[in-house]
Amino acid sequence: MKQFYSFVIKETRHILRDKRTMLILFGMPVVLMLLFGFAITNDVKNVRTIIVAPYLSPQAQLAVERLSASEYFTITATVPATRDAEQLIRRQQADIAIVFTHQHQNIQIVTDGTDPNMAQQWTNYAQQVIMNPSTTLINTKMLYNPQMKSAYNFVPAIMGMLLMLICAMMTSISVVREKEKGTMEVLLASPVRPLTVILAKAVPYLVMAICILVTILLMARHVLGVPLAGSLFWIIIVSIIYITLALSLGLLISNIAQTQMTALLLSAMVLIMPVVMLSGMLFPLESMPQVLQCVATIIPPRYYIEAMRKLMIMGVGIHEVSREVSVLTIMTALLLTVALAKFKKRLE
Amino acid sequence: MQAIEVNHISKSYGRVQALQDVSFSVGKGEVFGLIGPDGAGKSTLFRMLCTLLLPDEGTLSVDGFDTVRQMKEIRQRIGYMPGRFSLYEDLTVEENLIFFATLYGTTVEAGYDSVRTIYSQIERFKDRKAGALSGGMKQKLALCCALIHSPSILFLDEPTTGVDPVSRMELWETLLSLKERNITIVASTPYLDEVRRCERVAFLDYGKIRGIGTSEVILEKFKDVFNPPGIDKETSDSSRQAEQNVIEVEHLVKAFGTFRAVDDISFSVKRGEIFGFLGANGAGKTTAMHMLTGLNQPTSGTGRVAGYDIRTEYEQIKRHIGYMSQRFSLYEDLTVSENIELFAGIYGMDDRKIRTKREELLRRLKFEEHKDDLVSSLPLGWKQKLAFSVSIFHEPDVVFLDEPTGGVDPSTRRQFWELIYDAAARGITIFVTTHYMDEAEYCDRVSIMVDGKIAAIGTPNELKQRFQLPDMNHVFTYLARQAKRSEQ
Repeated sequence: MKQFYSFVIKETRHILRDKRTMLILFGMPVVLMLLFGFAITNDVKNVRTIIVAPYLSPQAQLAVERLSASEYFTITATVPATRDAEQLIRRQQADIAIVFTHQHQNIQIVTDGTDPNMAQQWTNYAQQVIMNPSTTLINTKMLYNPQMKSAYNFVPAIMGMLLMLICAMMTSISVVREKEKGTMEVLLASPVRPLTVILAKAVPYLVMAICILVTILLMARHVLGVPLAGSLFWIIIVSIIYITLALSLGLLISNIAQTQMTALLLSAMVLIMPVVMLSGMLFPLESMPQVLQCVATIIPPRYYIEAMRKLMIMGVGIHEVSREVSVLTIMTALLLTVALAKFKKRLE
Repeated sequence: MQAIEVNHISKSYGRVQALQDVSFSVGKGEVFGLIGPDGAGKSTLFRMLCTLLLPDEGTLSVDGFDTVRQMKEIRQRIGYMPGRFSLYEDLTVEENLIFFATLYGTTVEAGYDSVRTIYSQIERFKDRKAGALSGGMKQKLALCCALIHSPSILFLDEPTTGVDPVSRMELWETLLSLKERNITIVASTPYLDEVRRCERVAFLDYGKIRGIGTSEVILEKFKDVFNPPGIDKETSDSSRQAEQNVIEVEHLVKAFGTFRAVDDISFSVKRGEIFGFLGANGAGKTTAMHMLTGLNQPTSGTGRVAGYDIRTEYEQIKRHIGYMSQRFSLYEDLTVSENIELFAGIYGMDDRKIRTKREELLRRLKFEEHKDDLVSSLPLGWKQKLAFSVSIFHEPDVVFLDEPTGGVDPSTRRQFWELIYDAAARGITIFVTTHYMDEAEYCDRVSIMVDGKIAAIGTPNELKQRFQLPDMNHVFTYLARQAKRSEQ
């Protein structure tokens, strides 16, 4: 026990004395949360709109009024011809143009399609605003996220990505650094049990990951205004299972990698990339080809992000996420066993 | 019972046979040396004895326990210092010691007696980070960490590489004092004076034991390897064409805050001269060398290298010098000829010239067959020869060599020095630092730095006469022991 304790102290010192890494580890969640929360957003707001109307019929007049009244669109100019509107879009001075023809029988919408997702959204919004007179035909209601804030979607995803990044990358690097420096040789030649070495390496990172988790949750609640609808207790328990999983992955990587560079690349390329792409964080899994969907079933953050969305945003009970949680638990147990069994007691 | 028994062990990594049918035994309390060139299999043998590697064939027993089956018992009883400093550089001296004590299930208090003599020398620095210690101090700390649990056998894999002669001597005095406590010591070393301190030595070459016996017998039997004949110096002073100074330094000072790393040094080096720049770890050699090569600006004083001012014309200086350091010399993941082309290209040589010179160089080094081999696959001695040849490939006026032959056996070092003489004969000035005092004897002139100042300068013979001492090792030790500042 004494050995274990002194190992943990040593690891903590390594972490605390590397100020720059500490700054990155704690700065990154804050910066990412602010970026995703405020700057990078899928919300439709203040879209620069041009009205093309050689002649405005009363109906068209009404539509324009509705457009300018909505907070989604800002009308920047009114031009006589479609060609002028296109020119403005090309010069990056407008995002969308709404063309009213003479008879107001058909309305043409011209958008900047460089970002197809956003263009699609603008078009939908514009259609709704124009078509939607006082008498509503279709009434949509967004459950859990009535204002359609993208932060609701991003916060669980950021948690899934960051915890994986920090735990897997940092533990693997810290084990491999000892290999590179030659200290691992001395540790192995001493009577200390390899299990102690591994667990002691994981403990400080576990604590750090929990600190980061708390930071993210606090920021989500108080800065971004994302509700923590579900039970905080279960949010933290599920997160700890996920952190353990990430730590095990890190240990597994450190078994393969011989240099810090390899460890870094392995965790970044092999872990982070698929996590970002295939966890449903940026792109919806349902619209992916069948093959990728199959691959995605073995990506752990996918289940975590799913569970967090349900627990945090929907506020469901733990029973509703039992499938995700049990998959995570099984994966953790499996990875941890392999990582511990694979840890080498001798050199090669 | 013998402390160590090795019976017919063999080990290979892939196709490389690291050890082949090695057998020997070491008695309790014996000081046993493992010697042999780089790549002979010494480190592999150490790792096997420490239960870190398994033999392909044969058995090893340490303190009566089998290394394969009784790993745990052995790991309780041994102390191991691998070749590189096995310390945590971001922990302080004391934190390192405490950590290693608990690692072996003991405390610093309980084990203090066993390390007192060594630890008392570094205890003043107990709050300093291990990474900020000099090479000699690091070794002492590493030794403390390996001894804190009073092991019965100590394994030291080249413990003194890169350590100055005075610190090496102190380290061996401490090691020999451990004999009183009946600790068995197995050490490897490239230094002959250390080999002579061992009671028995085994000479390992290409994974096979060539001979075991007392150090005198082995050194005599293999004297062509360990004690190669001296090199005839043809460059007499009269033959030097022009008495032209290539390096001129006057009152050079480099201060870091209040600390004067280089404290008012003045000297000059002539064209084609081999100038040995000696000094203990921390005496200011590296700082002085950085100023001469334009990597660092002097605080005060003037200097000219190859005719250019070191303060203002350092870009020109870099063009006219070559530099080879122990740490970085070649790209390991490039082939021999790719390395040559790269460095030649950096100095702006044109393609045709590179091609003809490259062929000539490969022929001279007898590397033709290996020109497409990766540098990482070459033995250390070859790498050093290649690194030196690359550093003078663009025919610089001066070449700076920073401990070029660290960790290599005497015969390889001698071959290296033949290359140096060759270059000097072609008019390239050689400015070299070394911890090997036999190499100091090879130099035309040497200077010895102590505490940032030049304590003595002259030909090796002049210095020996002036201090009435038999060889350069004694001269160096005599001067370096007068150092007042032990640590920066």
